[in-house]
Parts: sequence; C-alpha cells; structure tokens
Amino acid sequence: MSTLVEILRSDFLLRDALLGSVLVGFVCPLVGVYFLLRRMIFLGVALPQVSAAGIAAAFLLYSLFVGPHSTLAGGERLLAIAGSATFTVTATVLLALWERRGRERVEARIGATYAIAAAATMLLLAKDPHGDAEIVGLLKGDILATTSASLTVMLVTFGAAALVLFAFRKELLLVSFDRDLAVVFGKRAGLWDLVLYVVIAAVISLGVMSAGPMATFGFLVVPPLTVRLITRRMLTFSVGSALLGAVTAFAGFYCAYRYDVPLAPAEIAVASAALAVVATTVAVRRAVWRAA
Amino acid sequence: MTEPVVALRDVSLGYDSTAVLEHVSLAIQRGEFVALTGPNGAGKTTLLRGMLRLIPVLAGRIEYGFDHIANPPGYVPQRESLDPIFPITVFEVVLMGTYAKLPPLWHVSRRARRVAAESLERVGLAAAARRPYWELSGGQKQRVLIARALAAEPAVMFLDEPTAGIDSAAEVAITELLARLNREQRMTIVLVSHHVGRIGSFLDSLIEVDDGAATKRAVAAQNGRDAPVGSTA
Repeated sequence: MSTLVEILRSDFLLRDALLGSVLVGFVCPLVGVYFLLRRMIFLGVALPQVSAAGIAAAFLLYSLFVGPHSTLAGGERLLAIAGSATFTVTATVLLALWERRGRERVEARIGATYAIAAAATMLLLAKDPHGDAEIVGLLKGDILATTSASLTVMLVTFGAAALVLFAFRKELLLVSFDRDLAVVFGKRAGLWDLVLYVVIAAVISLGVMSAGPMATFGFLVVPPLTVRLITRRMLTFSVGSALLGAVTAFAGFYCAYRYDVPLAPAEIAVASAALAVVATTVAVRRAVWRAA
Repeated sequence: MTEPVVALRDVSLGYDSTAVLEHVSLAIQRGEFVALTGPNGAGKTTLLRGMLRLIPVLAGRIEYGFDHIANPPGYVPQRESLDPIFPITVFEVVLMGTYAKLPPLWHVSRRARRVAAESLERVGLAAAARRPYWELSGGQKQRVLIARALAAEPAVMFLDEPTAGIDSAAEVAITELLARLNREQRMTIVLVSHHVGRIGSFLDSLIEVDDGAATKRAVAAQNGRDAPVGSTA
C-alpha cells in the first residue's frame, strides 16, 4: 500500500516514466484494435523492428556524413525519432500499397519485412563506428529514462493519434469493415487506409522509442484481444481496450517498482493475466450456459 | 425515354487485365427490377462489381444516371464477405448506411439514427437492434444488410446473391421486401441470383451472363407487369 501511495505522489522520482508508461498503455491498444480487426497482428511485430532499423540507419548516416553522434548532446533522441518515423511510415505505406496490389499472402509480406528489418538493424549497427550501448538502449526503449521533454513529445504525438482515430472513426470503421461499401459510397478508401497507417506508424515508432518493442507489441495486441472477448460494440471495444491498456500499464509499473523486476515484462505479464482471467471467465460462463 | 440508371457501352470487365466479360452493351432503366443470372463463374458478380465501380473497366464505358457522391446507390454484398471478428451490433451495421452522405468529421445526426432505425423496422428487425450482428441467422443478416443499404436512402440498389444459402421462409421474406421496395418506391433493383426462383415473378428483365457475354431480355410482360420505359433489351 505504501508503494502505491509513493508512486501516486506528485514528487515521485519516476513520475514522468509512470505517465509515459500509462500513455503507451492507453494509445497502443487504440491502434491495436485495427490490427486485430484487419487481421494483421503480425504487423505489430514487424513494424517495431522496422522502427529499430530506422534508428540504426539514422545514427549510421549521421556518423558517416556529419560526425560522431556521441557529441550530439541530447539530440540523439530527435535523430532516433526522425529515423524511426521515416522508416516506419515508409514501410507501412509500402505494405498498404502491396496489400491492394500484391499476389502473395499478407503474412508473407509482413514476415519478409520483419526478417529484412531485423537483419538491417544488426548490419547497420555493426557498420556504425560509433555504435555503442546508448544506441542499443534506444533500440530497446527505456521508459525509465523519460524526461519531461520526451513526455511532452509523447503527449503531443499520442494525443494527436488518439484524436485522429476518434475524429475519423466512422471512415476508418467503414473501410475496415466493408471496404467495397466505402468505394460504392464514393469514399476515398485508399486515403483512409493511408491515414490509419500513418497513425499506426507514428504510434509504433514513438512507442518503440519510449517503451521498447516488447511493451509496444504487447499493448498493441493483448488489451484488444482481452476486450474483444467481452464486448459487443465497436465503441466499447476501442475505449475498453485503451482503458484496460492504461490500467495494466499502471499495474505493471507498480509491480516492477514494488518487486524490482524489469518494467516491460511486468506490464505484459499483468496484461496477460487480465487476458487469462477474462478468457477463463468467458469459457466457464459459456460452458455453464450450454449445460443449462 | 428516361435516362438509364446505368448504361454499359461496349464494356469489357475482368481482373488483372484479363477480361471475364467482353463487349457488353445494355442499359438498366429507372424503376426496373433486374436479375443477373447465369452459371457459376460466368461473371455475374464481375458485372455487378463493374457497375458499382469496384473493378476497373478494361474497355468501353459505363454511364450513370445518378451522382455517386450526392446520391450513392445501396449495396448489399454477399454476407460471407464480412469478417465476424468485428464486435458490432445490428444497429451499428445499419448506421453505416447513413455514412454515405456524411462528410468526414460530421457527427452522426439524430436524423441519421432515425433513418437507420426506420430502415431496420422496414426489414422487420427493429427488435434486434441491440443484438450482436453475428448472432443472427443467415436470413436475418441478409435483411440487416438490406436495411443498411436502405439507410443510404438510395434510388437504386445492387444486391449480390441476396437469397443464397438461406431457408425458404427467409427467401420469401427477402423477395417480398425487394418487390415491395420496387413497386411502392419505384426503387431500381439489380441483383445477382444463381437461380431466379421466387424472384422471377417480380422481374422486369433478366440479364443472362454466360460465355463472356451478357444479354438482357424483358420478362415483364410474361410476369403481367408494365415494363418500365425503355426496359426492352
């Protein structure tokens, strides 16, 4: 109880990190809902890896054409965001185009993207003469290093993403649920796909930078999977997933701080425990209903 | 003669530049009840999707007697084409029909909600509004999709196999609903049907699709109906 009181105090040492965690936990499921509905969950694995490749590429290019990035003095984060966002947006747009035009299955394209991005990350890091532990730290994401400045960036970016998803929910639902109907209605389905993919790319690139690929992917997928089991409406699906993500992020942070364990695995463990409880309850209820 | 709702002029349609139908020339008149029939794989759905601009026209041109943005058509897809992963209620599905005339950032108005509720009532499923869409039977789902098409307040409705895979009672209900919409509101109805069946007696024209061609012939007279102006093939 004293730990809970401590982390809720305004002068808590890791207050920015806690707020950052809850933000990632809240916004990632809003995007993850569309991953689930469009049956492209594996994109949640591939895009964080693409984001990591973008960070490595940005640092390598800086080293080659400007100079050692170790002298950037705080600018590493901006450089990393630029690389991450560029790669993630480009990859999502290309995947969106191939989704409509390609012949092979979408899983094959996403799998290939993951493999290429993972290999590229390692090769780019290996060729960076100034590749060091700090870059590796950025690639892993370190929410505990959140500062008030980076929290502001997260607030603005995630806030804008949530706003876009809310403001255009009709259009995004229509193109996701029945794309043909959207075209028949004269809606620009390709444009709405692009809007969704850009939001996804922005959330993932900043999520990976802030909380790392594991926490980002976990929050993209686990809360929507959990809420999907108990909801009957689209609005409650989105809002419920975001709220569950925020609550499990807070609970995960509490557990990590209380029991001195790594943050991302603690958050995913809490989210997975919630999934297990809900799935078991639903299964038992169905069994009882069938037996009655 | 009135302006046709849809007129195909020497049109070729297909996928990936390979034509499934070639040199199709026909017109569908306002208020006409038309069925596209033919064997499996003949190109009935291809023709319907071409008329709906869902696939590109490979050659020729299609002219429309309505504005796709201001007055879009109603569209009822094959119900299996929708993914059951979406947690969505019957009312949410029908409400989507009102998005046709709703610009981005505009809130769904009370009028739109009323139109959606009335559309659901017209297909006899007002009581199911809050139920999950996926819990309905095949025939009920089909009626919900027709209600969604009605919520767009269209003058013309396109339906892809609306009576496929449903029991005969549901088939009768859907057939009578479409006949009533055509008769009472003069709504133009174009549907794909593998076999004409019960719908046959309500039709003005048949478009027979086979061997890469589509031919229209009037059947209104044999059904004892007054043919819409210009509906002869």
